[in-house]
Amino acid sequence: MTRRDRDIVRRFHDRYSLPVSDASLAIEREVIGANVGAAGYTTLAQADALIPELRLQPGALLLDIGAGRGWPGVYLARRSGCDVVLTDIPAPGLAAALKRADEAALAGRAAAVVRAGAHNLPFRPRVFDAAVHTDTL
Amino acid sequence: MLRACKRLLRPAGRIAFYTIFIAPGLSEAAYRRAARAGPSAVTSRRREQVDLLRSAGFAAVREIDVTEAFLRSTQAWYQGRDRYAAQLAEAEGEASFRERQRDYRLQARAIEAGLLRRALFLGERPR
Repeated sequence: MTRRDRDIVRRFHDRYSLPVSDASLAIEREVIGANVGAAGYTTLAQADALIPELRLQPGALLLDIGAGRGWPGVYLARRSGCDVVLTDIPAPGLAAALKRADEAALAGRAAAVVRAGAHNLPFRPRVFDAAVHTDTL
Repeated sequence: MLRACKRLLRPAGRIAFYTIFIAPGLSEAAYRRAARAGPSAVTSRRREQVDLLRSAGFAAVREIDVTEAFLRSTQAWYQGRDRYAAQLAEAEGEASFRERQRDYRLQARAIEAGLLRRALFLGERPR
């Protein structure tokens, strides 16, 4: 990981460590369209567009790279019925992603969180049906 | 990363990613302005994303531009955060809050000037 990458990870670590406030939730609803743990530019409509494009359906396994607090992987799994593996580096984001997956009742199906960077994904070849990332490195 | 994704996908598996990138064909000065205005993780113009997908071995590669929505979202983040400035500055720290707001302003101007773009890129691992 380069120094620049480490700076980015640290910045997101700090950002995900901030408590979620009523103000931040209201802004997220306005910008993204719902409270889904989003901090970037992928709106709800843009996430919905991914479901047919990635052919997400029950039984499919989705990899979300740089999932942050679980957006959009948890949402896509809930909407489409697919299983999901969420990866990122900042631990506070992954903790929030896991909580979000639990709240979405995905844990009983298959939702896993793996702490790994986009350049070092620790998975066997040919296991995923789809992969997504949004504004990641 | 795209090569790693291809390795992890089953045959006929699909990849989709939204990404922000510096518009192609800019002068050096405009390029530097775009790089300063975009998010720190902004993808450079070194190669078009479509070319990167193809060279990683993906087929059925497509690009769907979402730059207009990107501008609206950037402006909405700025305006929404501005409305709750007092609460957010207290939570984030005054300097951090101001820095993020400045970044949103710079980014919006760069999008309006045609320096930054955002698109959905799609590809499929061949069978």
